[in-house]
Amino acid sequence: MIKEGHFGSAEAFCLMLVMLTTRVFYSSPLALIKDLGTAAWYGTLLSCAVSLIFFGLLYLLMKRFPNQDLYQVYETVTGKIISKLLILIFSFYFLYYAAINVREFTAILKAYSMPYTPVSILIFVFLLVVIAMTYVGLEGIVRVSYIFFYFIMCGLAMLLLLAIPAYDFNNLYPLFGYGLKETIKIGVLRSSAYDEIVILAIIINSIYGLKTFKRVGFYSLILAGLIISVTLACILAAFEYTAASEQLSGLFQLSRIIYYSRFFQRIEAIFLFIWVFASVITVSMAFYLAVSSYCRAFKIKNHRPLLFPFAALAFMVAFIPRNIGEVFEIHVHFLRQDSFSIMYLIPLLVLIFALILGKKGGKAIE
Amino acid sequence: MNRSSKIILIIILIFCLPLSGCYDAADVDEEVYAMAIGIDKGVDNAVRVTFQYPTYKDSPSSGGMKGGGGGQTETGEVDGTLVSTVEAPSLLEGVQMLNAAGNRQISLTHAKMLVFSEEFAREGVGKDVETVARYREARETMRVIVCKGKAQDFIMENKSLIGSNLAKGIELSFVQSQNTGYFPDVFFANFYSNMLTPYGQPYAIYAGVNDFQHLPENTQQDNQSPAPIEKDIQPGETPRKGGSKEELFGTAIFDGEKMVGSLTQNETRFFLLGIGKFKWGSFTTGDKNKPGYAYVLDVITARKPQVSAHFENGVPVIDLKVDLDADIAAIQSRIDYEKVENIKELESYTKDCFQEGMKKTIERTQKEYNCDIFHFGKKIAGNFKTIQELENYNWLKHYQEAKINVDVTVNIRRNGFFFGTRPFFSTRSGNQKEGNNQ
Repeated sequence: MIKEGHFGSAEAFCLMLVMLTTRVFYSSPLALIKDLGTAAWYGTLLSCAVSLIFFGLLYLLMKRFPNQDLYQVYETVTGKIISKLLILIFSFYFLYYAAINVREFTAILKAYSMPYTPVSILIFVFLLVVIAMTYVGLEGIVRVSYIFFYFIMCGLAMLLLLAIPAYDFNNLYPLFGYGLKETIKIGVLRSSAYDEIVILAIIINSIYGLKTFKRVGFYSLILAGLIISVTLACILAAFEYTAASEQLSGLFQLSRIIYYSRFFQRIEAIFLFIWVFASVITVSMAFYLAVSSYCRAFKIKNHRPLLFPFAALAFMVAFIPRNIGEVFEIHVHFLRQDSFSIMYLIPLLVLIFALILGKKGGKAIE
Repeated sequence: MNRSSKIILIIILIFCLPLSGCYDAADVDEEVYAMAIGIDKGVDNAVRVTFQYPTYKDSPSSGGMKGGGGGQTETGEVDGTLVSTVEAPSLLEGVQMLNAAGNRQISLTHAKMLVFSEEFAREGVGKDVETVARYREARETMRVIVCKGKAQDFIMENKSLIGSNLAKGIELSFVQSQNTGYFPDVFFANFYSNMLTPYGQPYAIYAGVNDFQHLPENTQQDNQSPAPIEKDIQPGETPRKGGSKEELFGTAIFDGEKMVGSLTQNETRFFLLGIGKFKWGSFTTGDKNKPGYAYVLDVITARKPQVSAHFENGVPVIDLKVDLDADIAAIQSRIDYEKVENIKELESYTKDCFQEGMKKTIERTQKEYNCDIFHFGKKIAGNFKTIQELENYNWLKHYQEAKINVDVTVNIRRNGFFFGTRPFFSTRSGNQKEGNNQ
């Protein structure tokens, strides 16, 4: 097994919050506002609430098997062969997640900032940084996220505050968007957008067990929901649901309209910095989990020799979408709206099996 | 991984990171930054596009403006800038065609204004606004102007007469919206989103070129000074001489992508008061107690206008409440209105003037244009549960039917440097005082 190191709840909280909120920099606001209109800001809270329920069920599963991480729980409940299959599904999912996130990142970067740089160069360079982060291992990624967390959150808060003159909260009417039924439906489906919280169950042994798992999980989910909700409300207040459902990155557009005087304008560089930091951390973590899950499935002790092969795979997966339409409408849509079928349903099925078969783990070590 | 491998990896990483930017590197000297973009109706092709960009020469006077204020019509040199016009199938193709004819690439990243000719705006600006909104270079913070006459001629008159920095001059000219209220300050981002929204209609700055032929000459020797009146003036027709020929004066009104009309400078002030974008301005009002005299008030908005909306028997009813603070800037009649017993009368009269002005302005947007540039629709939207209901109702269609109540409160707070007014004393003074309070 890979030695993953240990870190405290603050570090775990920062990692989870960065991973859960990175999507506001991407096309997530566009998709949500397109589907939910003026109800997008509370539609995401609904997704968050559904994720909290799933997280509660995940907590029940992890509580049943103290001192075991999610993959060990799979093995205890489903046996060696099926658990290996489940871990591999997670490994491939994380690889796909990392690759599509890189592709989404480069698609937006090309649209706004680097129109003539080939996608391959952007992805290649990005993956080199990811490899360097992953080489150091889980503890390294988490500690980097702990450092950059403050920059990312301060930058985001600064952007939202500086854009205050552009806000008109009357733009949040009609209150029910495209209808309450649609809001509930999309809200529930988009709980996938918060399914990174399952990662906590995979790294539970590095965060000193169940107590931290529960505390970090609940708080990071609630805070991420609030941050995303406030950001969506600000985008809606600035652009109305009509223009906001056209923009590739609502937050980037928001940074472009900040104008106080001829001396204080054009501050989107702040956005680019925090966006890059958040993306590198998120993709590195997903990439690390892809490699480490693979190592767990085949009992490989050192993940480092696998970094370049996995990076090559991620590079290829990133090129599956032929155009920006496919990136958003197929792949990102799957990650943010359908991925709960992997991230939530598999642990849920394992919990059901454990209950039916009456399987339980040992006692918790205090 | 051994030590040397680690060092090699670090070196590769360090070199890779900056290299990714090289593809998009653009030397400042390889580009010229358009400050103004003008769009006119084409003759042989879809659009006639005009760009104004700096010549990068030492000073405006050496940049072609020899003799001060002039320009070289053939090369388009104006006040240290070049004004180039091209007829093209689209705005962006126009940029490319001018690039081919010059030695620098035109960049739109620093464009400060987008000017449409009125003729073009009345046919619809959608096609080109879409291009600007989608294209990465143009900024959302540039201003949108509709000018009487050709956009090309308007941009030819875009000169910096005070100071040598034209870019600074352009930005400061828009700040005059806050200092006068004679025109709205319209950013491209707002203009574009207003074209899409069901809450209201877009508006732009209305402008013109003044040929200085509107200052009337006095032909009668014994002519008395006329009474002060707030005239409605079209852009480019201000009675003045000297200074910039460019004039931002009024509001252009759009229905969707097409311009349908305009508001004069006085109506624009009432419009800006109604939407809470009026910062301050001087208002001259005839003194009803002494005809031929006026008083001048410096008016600021005390707080954001309060708007509420509801339906009464299917008719939309909107209540607009505007609170204004005013300072007395001048009382030509020298009637001491600042006294406690008189100030109420002045406030009441001023309130009536503003209320009437706002009502007439709103009525004009309703009856003449049916364009809700006030965006009352945002409050109407609160009466609908879903977007489908709002869009099916189509507030923009029903705006003309709305009953709009305007309530203005004016509080005169200060009197300038005076507290109390004494009459002028002359040989005719004594029993009969000039300008005394009745």
